[in-house]
Amino acid sequence: MKRSVRHSKNGKIFGLSEYIIKIITIIILIILWEFFSRVGYLSPLRFPRPSKLAITLWELMTVGYPIGITVWLHIKATVCRILQGYLLAAAFAIPMGLIIGRSYLLEQAANPVITFARSVATISLLPLAIAWFGVDELSRILLIAYGCYWVILTNTIQGVKQVDINFINAGRMLGASRRQLFFRVILPATLPRIFAGMKIALGVGFMVIIAVEMIGTIQGLGALIQQARFYYSSDIAIDGMIFIGILGLLISIVLDRLEQIMLPWAVGLEEVER
Amino acid sequence: MNTCNSDTKIVVKDITKQFPGENPEQGLALYDVNFTVQTNEFVTIVGRSGCGKSTMLNIAAGLLSPTKGEVLINGRAVNGPGSDRGMVFQYSGLFPWLTAIENIEFGPRNVGMPKAERRASAQELIELVRLKGFENKYPRELSGGMQQRVAIARAMALDPEILLMDEPFGSLDQLTREDMQRELLRVWEIRKKTVLFVTHSIIEAIYLSDRILVFNPNPGFVKKEFVIELPRPRQKSYPDFMRYYEEIYEAIC
Amino acid sequence: MSNSSFGRRLWVSWAGFITLLLIWQIISVMKLINPVVFPSPTGVIKAALTDVPLNRLLQHIGISLLRVVLGFTIGATLGIIIGIVSGWYYRLGRVLWAPIDLIRPIPPLAWIPLAIIWLGLGEPSKVLIIFLGAFFPIVTNTYKGMVNIEPNIIRAAQSLGLQGRRLLLRVAIPASLPDIATGMRVGWSYSFGCMVAAELIAARSGLGYLIMHARQTGQIAVIVYGVILIGVINLLTDFVMQESIIKRKLKWQFLSTS
Repeated sequence: MKRSVRHSKNGKIFGLSEYIIKIITIIILIILWEFFSRVGYLSPLRFPRPSKLAITLWELMTVGYPIGITVWLHIKATVCRILQGYLLAAAFAIPMGLIIGRSYLLEQAANPVITFARSVATISLLPLAIAWFGVDELSRILLIAYGCYWVILTNTIQGVKQVDINFINAGRMLGASRRQLFFRVILPATLPRIFAGMKIALGVGFMVIIAVEMIGTIQGLGALIQQARFYYSSDIAIDGMIFIGILGLLISIVLDRLEQIMLPWAVGLEEVER
Repeated sequence: MNTCNSDTKIVVKDITKQFPGENPEQGLALYDVNFTVQTNEFVTIVGRSGCGKSTMLNIAAGLLSPTKGEVLINGRAVNGPGSDRGMVFQYSGLFPWLTAIENIEFGPRNVGMPKAERRASAQELIELVRLKGFENKYPRELSGGMQQRVAIARAMALDPEILLMDEPFGSLDQLTREDMQRELLRVWEIRKKTVLFVTHSIIEAIYLSDRILVFNPNPGFVKKEFVIELPRPRQKSYPDFMRYYEEIYEAIC
Repeated sequence: MSNSSFGRRLWVSWAGFITLLLIWQIISVMKLINPVVFPSPTGVIKAALTDVPLNRLLQHIGISLLRVVLGFTIGATLGIIIGIVSGWYYRLGRVLWAPIDLIRPIPPLAWIPLAIIWLGLGEPSKVLIIFLGAFFPIVTNTYKGMVNIEPNIIRAAQSLGLQGRRLLLRVAIPASLPDIATGMRVGWSYSFGCMVAAELIAARSGLGYLIMHARQTGQIAVIVYGVILIGVINLLTDFVMQESIIKRKLKWQFLSTS
């Protein structure tokens, strides 16, 4: 990342690293929050004290909300749904993307369809899915699959299209048959872009599932915070949101590590399709 | 100077290349190009950017087909890439997902050479280009000069008779470039090949080649030919060297 | 590009679309799937014309668009300001970003329950969600744009005597406009998605509500109509945004010497 000349050279402010500054700022904010809450400036209904949040956190982990469904079960439900929808989407999107990307004609024909399908708000399909498949896991998984599918598809197509012509020429000069060219040159060359698409798709799937879980189910992180809303339990809502945020972070960290392991040779950032 | 005899490796005959487009005049890259290359001769094409030198090389490689005319290698017309020609590109074109030695083994693997044989032959080539110890490095871990050395080794892995080189040292800094020019000549002396080289550097051309073809831009054709009769290794300080330089420079302008 | 190849490309582009429509029509005509739950294209058009009176439809569309525009405008304004300030004044920026980085992993839709607790079921809670949808991409991209300016541009401007606020306004901000524009485009599409979701989950008006209500009354064709309508509006607004604002103000980015 290029740094403007105005930035400090070694990333330190007041002699402390960025990381420390962040943590200190957060701690200060939490302390202020607790203080203003106790003194009465912040309404306890809307802004529960951090200490209360911590207590609720513990309860969520042990007793659960609704009683019996601990936050771990909620997380498990959410993660399972995301995973199933996500993998389903990838299983179809990657091969389709590889096929479409290779053919100029197919790509031209597919483009309007893809553009339109992507502009359809995934969430808006929920009522349709419910009407067709009922309020059950299948609808949710299909919805996540829909959201993920188009992102992975477009990135795979772009990845195939943008394979450096030098690679293809080199492959041809080195005696590769069409089949060898595909599996030994085009496929590896496309992998970084496919991976980039997979990362974005997981983010999309994550956002979709949270919203989907707010309708028609009591298990799952989205369901958890929706329940909290009905009983005006802002502490549970906020704790739930914290869990959601942490889960999202974990997912992206895991994906980054996976990318480092699987594609150690891939360097550099590329333009990606959102 | 189109002497066709049993020693002629490459014959470029009446090559014309028209690229489709709105403006037919702009798309005419090559027009009536004719020249020959003898076996184990080092011939360089020089010219300004856009004079069609790369296009000519790609046609000789079989990666592009000409609109008119043909390229004959050993008397037979070229109609696609083949293992009798190896090519080195300006930006190495090394596969980033393979290590250096795996890149070199790529060609032999495609034609079904057994593993042990591939590995041995690739190892030999690594040593030829003096990269012993770097076999298992990925291209991004190698410097520009090293990458081009791997690229040369890779192009030679199927033991082609002809080496086609498209400004292979164009992306290197001047000092590395001069190192690589020496390296190339050294390798060429050891494993004799017919070389068709493309560059826009006149000095590089004089240093390396037996014969230089000056290409005219828009459309491309052979404007003038020079035979370099200097013993190798050549020094820029030779008076004849600079005399050639001036003549070629004038021919380009 | 000659006229014939352009015409051919156009034809091919639409061939895919039309094929799908035909398949859809055939499946429903042959009643392969229960026609009650799977309307045909003609059924959807019919529902569009009869089941949803035009003035009510326009009302819903109007409310939805109003919400998005409001939330987006606030989000964009705040996002751009914070992005510029935090990108230019490095120390302030690092402090400002601590809470932003903390909140960013939480998807805007996860804020819906809290927004309702805070602001009730009325307009403000939905605008808040839409605001969040726009804010994060815009502030992130603006910050990135400010931080990634070519150092040479700044140095050149400084050597010409510019400094301080003038440097910021006349050089730094224009240089980061492409990134800001990208952020706005992404922010708009997120805002739109948030609007639909928020209306589906907790609203009594708007396009999202329209769809949800249609499901409850069993008017499947209207659902399909609504879904398609949302998609079309999304495309249109994105197109408008791209063409008018971005292309006009950022002409310099797209011009190139071939």
